[in-house]
Amino acid sequence: MTRRLTAVKTALWLLAGVLGVLTAVRFLRGLGATTALTDTAPWGFWIAFDVMSGVALAAGGFVVAATVYVFGRERYRAFARPAILTAFLGYAAVAVGLLYDLGLPWHILNPVAHPQHHSVLFEVAMCVMLYLTVLFLEFSPVILEHPRLQRPLLARVHRALQKVTIPLVIAGIVLSTLHQSSLGSLFLIAPYRLHPLWYSPYLWVLFFVSAVALGLAMVMAESFFSAWLFGHKPRRELLGNLGRAASVVLLLYAALRLGDLAARGKLDLALQPTGHAALFWFELGVSALLPAVLLQSGRVRAGSGGLFGSAALIVLGMIGYRFDVCIVAFARPEDMPYFPSWTEIAVSVGIVAAAMLVFIFFVEHLRVYPPEEHGPAEPRPRPDPGTVRPLLAGPAAAPRRYSLVAVLGAALAVALLPAGALFGDQVARTPVAGPRTLDAIRVAVDGRPDDLVLAAEPARQAPDGMPARALLLDADRDGRTVLFDHDAHVERAGGETSCGSCHHQNLPFDRASSCGSCHADMFLVSDTFRHESHVGHLGGNAGCARCHDGGEGAKTREKARACDDCHSDMLVPGAVVRPRPGGLDGRAVGYMDAVHGLCVACHEREVALRPGELPASLADCGTCHGREDPARLRRLGPYAAADVRRAAPPPGAAAVPGPSE
Amino acid sequence: MDAWLDWARGPAFVFSFVFLLLGLLRHVALTAWEVAHVWRRAGDRKLPLGKLLRATLLWLVPFTRLRHRFWFGLTSLVFHVCILVVPVFLAGHVALWARGLGLSWPAIPNAVADALTLLAVVTAVLLLGQRVFSRATRSLSRVQDFALPPLVAVPFATGFLMMHPGWNPFDFQATFFVHVMSANLLFVLTPLTKLSHMILMPSTQLVAELAWHWPVDSGSAVGRALGKEGEPV
Repeated sequence: MTRRLTAVKTALWLLAGVLGVLTAVRFLRGLGATTALTDTAPWGFWIAFDVMSGVALAAGGFVVAATVYVFGRERYRAFARPAILTAFLGYAAVAVGLLYDLGLPWHILNPVAHPQHHSVLFEVAMCVMLYLTVLFLEFSPVILEHPRLQRPLLARVHRALQKVTIPLVIAGIVLSTLHQSSLGSLFLIAPYRLHPLWYSPYLWVLFFVSAVALGLAMVMAESFFSAWLFGHKPRRELLGNLGRAASVVLLLYAALRLGDLAARGKLDLALQPTGHAALFWFELGVSALLPAVLLQSGRVRAGSGGLFGSAALIVLGMIGYRFDVCIVAFARPEDMPYFPSWTEIAVSVGIVAAAMLVFIFFVEHLRVYPPEEHGPAEPRPRPDPGTVRPLLAGPAAAPRRYSLVAVLGAALAVALLPAGALFGDQVARTPVAGPRTLDAIRVAVDGRPDDLVLAAEPARQAPDGMPARALLLDADRDGRTVLFDHDAHVERAGGETSCGSCHHQNLPFDRASSCGSCHADMFLVSDTFRHESHVGHLGGNAGCARCHDGGEGAKTREKARACDDCHSDMLVPGAVVRPRPGGLDGRAVGYMDAVHGLCVACHEREVALRPGELPASLADCGTCHGREDPARLRRLGPYAAADVRRAAPPPGAAAVPGPSE
Repeated sequence: MDAWLDWARGPAFVFSFVFLLLGLLRHVALTAWEVAHVWRRAGDRKLPLGKLLRATLLWLVPFTRLRHRFWFGLTSLVFHVCILVVPVFLAGHVALWARGLGLSWPAIPNAVADALTLLAVVTAVLLLGQRVFSRATRSLSRVQDFALPPLVAVPFATGFLMMHPGWNPFDFQATFFVHVMSANLLFVLTPLTKLSHMILMPSTQLVAELAWHWPVDSGSAVGRALGKEGEPV
């Protein structure tokens, strides 16, 4: 029993260690580094689990308080303290979870600072705040019973709190009724985004009734779990009665849900073979129908396994109901799906683990359970005279174990975090896409001798045009293109031997490698150097010295031999782009910088060389950009209309080197 | 092999290094907590603080301790200097810190690093030898005492081979992998074994002293444990 408790606490501390790291990252690096949330998916796992499910899971507090204090069922008093503690910790977890989810966490006070009394969310926020206070006051007598707190002033506080127990319980029930239902009302604002099988104008009724059933199930599940953990005997008969009550509430919930669908004429949606219909029946079956039927059976209610299993079904099913309303059945833009990151799930699990550790701490140090339920007291360790260890390390044995697993969890979390979470936002790589080849017609437009129009566009076909081929450049595939007249540039640069003017560096055995084969990323520097392949080609370890001279300091890229020392044939003499001083080191700038650098530099040079002949605007952006309307381009085919081809076969077309891309 | 190497230098290194840092921090926190606890319960609160401070400093700069077992002490001293200086001040490692976190400090010349690395490997073997062949030491030793010196020597031996690939009979990437992973293993082992003396050393004298300041009434606790309650001592 003690070993079981130790094992559970060890696991919980591991999760708490993970939570510690993720908390630091969340609050230092923000939501983008820790969640999969976006502007189109502004709420996700944390709201669905921490808030929506968390509030509902803590409903046991008000359900048991009502049973004992309002309906006077004194037999259930033993459940009151653990249920109220569970509810208090549950609501505290909701508040903490909300702090993680709010982009600016201090805005959690805004409902008080800037009250919007027409808002449902305002009502939920106020109720949760007040109910958290009520739960604290309801539970504080248990704290004040502790022997160390027996002071005159505290005793007076204790007596005063006991006097206001009934008003507190009534306040708790009123507040719970209000906000348990209002969590459903929140979704009334989005009738067309929530799937009709889940949307209902009476969503608030469904949320409240399901919360009552869930509260009863949580008391059952928590009792069995505590009994297993602390070695108590579960009060099976009373729990059976709770199970029967839960069964009645669940049947009511199922009837309300199906009746509401039938009354609104939406029930046929549930009978069609769609994914949503399957999800609806699965969720309703697990959360309500199956456990309600099971708990009607006396045999199931008589056994611990049946009771616990039914309670677990209700708990999981009702969490599923909250998830369906909040995420799964809630329509999002089609190309913006949401799936939680592992950090989101780990934060929620970590908060639950931390709450469970506080629960265990209270059970171990306060009278949460009646004393007769406690198992045999742990025997005190006898001091071992052979060693001083119990005198020194004994009291620290538990902190030693738990801090070690927390450190383990923290280290695991750091190792698994994406680089962006540790070192700030990383620019995503944008692989370059090669240009496309199109048929075009060369015409004289606005006095320019050889402008290009796309041949596939009938409206702009000029009868006296010459067929030509053009490259359509759109390396990041964003639809904004540049139509590049490759043939004319070849001709102007000096014909077939001029490739190297622009193709300044080539792959081995190539004479016109495409820009994107080295400048492989749209914006970021790419590494064209492959260390492992060089190790292989240069003869393994003996080859190191061919590039690294073995001098002082670290063997870095900067101090290694330049690439063009060996690969002198890769460089084209007389190219517009010159190798940088100090030789090449294998790094290629981003595609955008590379192409702009080449084109703009060459245009500027040409304008400077032939000032009267060429317009000064040749080096301006508009020379290449903005001439093609992307919407129009999308409607065009790649080939010239058949009559244009027939009209004038391209003279010497075969001699023009095809674009190598 | 490159993928394995990236894993070892990436997530595996981050895990081991964070585990090392947090694990050592944990030792500091636990020691402070335990010292405070024992101090609260101590029957005799008179601590010879001056003497403790002197003893601590003397152990941190152990030149005066060499007279007891000179050769063993000297081997140990050289071993410690080597394994502290080389990993921190090797030019290649300094370059890694500069690249990863932008931190930079001066490096030692590669020739010095080579010499210290070889010394570290040799002294590790010598330390193990003295432990195995001295009967008094052997009887006091645990498994980790035998296992740790050779384990510490592995990243140094592989590091030397990486710096001198011409003499390395093994594949470079494989040597690199063993180098990184053995260092990762040592990082993880540090908070779990006696390697944690790297952070606990300054508090050792204080803890040992406090251990003798028995709690009030501990004499009768010993009596109870021995089943000799009430008997005259």
